Amino acid sequence: MSSRRSRSRQSSGSRITDDQIIDLVSKLQQLIPELRGRRSDKVSASKVLQETCNYIRNLHRQVDGLSDRLSQLLASTDTDSDQAAVIRSLLME
Amino acid sequence: MASSIPAPDTCPEFKRRKRRITDDSLASSHSHQRNQRIKRWRTQREQHFYSSKLIQALHRSRRTSAKEVHETAYRVLAVLARGTTRWSRAILTARKMTKHKRAKVPSNTRWRRPAINGEKRKTPVVQKKLKALGRLVPGCRKLSFTNLLEETSDYIAALEMQVRAMTAITELLAGGGPQPPADRLASNVNS
Repeated sequence: MSSRRSRSRQSSGSRITDDQIIDLVSKLQQLIPELRGRRSDKVSASKVLQETCNYIRNLHRQVDGLSDRLSQLLASTDTDSDQAAVIRSLLME
Repeated sequence: MASSIPAPDTCPEFKRRKRRITDDSLASSHSHQRNQRIKRWRTQREQHFYSSKLIQALHRSRRTSAKEVHETAYRVLAVLARGTTRWSRAILTARKMTKHKRAKVPSNTRWRRPAINGEKRKTPVVQKKLKALGRLVPGCRKLSFTNLLEETSDYIAALEMQVRAMTAITELLAGGGPQPPADRLASNVNS
């Protein structure tokens, strides 16, 4: 599967050009808060990829922390009415 | 809108041209779809949808260890992706496999070709980082450069929504929120 050289059925066609790479990397750059404002020609592809990895790891860590917190809160609020209130307020917005 | 192409079967050139046009429009419609999907993660509606699904799932399961919450949070997120992305499918598949004692898949690094993508002019540094990225996004270890970046974009948007949603839920559960029945909550808080 992956041994097939970059030939994909999708949009990228036969071979990826350098321009496409630059384009994709700059698109990715816009997603990373760290790098959003900077000009794409000033940020290397390697840096974009590095910051992307860091950002994803960061998000993973946040989800881990939130899972911990949420589990503690759920354990302590054992009454249904609290949770019902939360659900209600969420759906009302 | 059916265009009236006169007798396309008899004219092979016509067919070829039509197919090429379809490929291009397919490509741009794919990218349009992808952008739409990514935008959807950023809407309030999607966040609310996720939040209520998550709370329902947690409420139902009654097991609220951090691990449970963690797994449920990712599972609900993957379900919301509606099977459109690789990372979401990988999460759901992994879940199924874990239930039946997931067997360790032997890594085939030994015979894997050094240039995975086969593209030229990618320095080893970039290659290494690409590989690291592929390990972070579920189910994307062997993707091509383009596909990996696409999956990454969607995955990041989804993760950001997940963090927003879980933060909001946590704040609501912890602080009692700005809602009117705050008295009721206060009186129910266990000392």
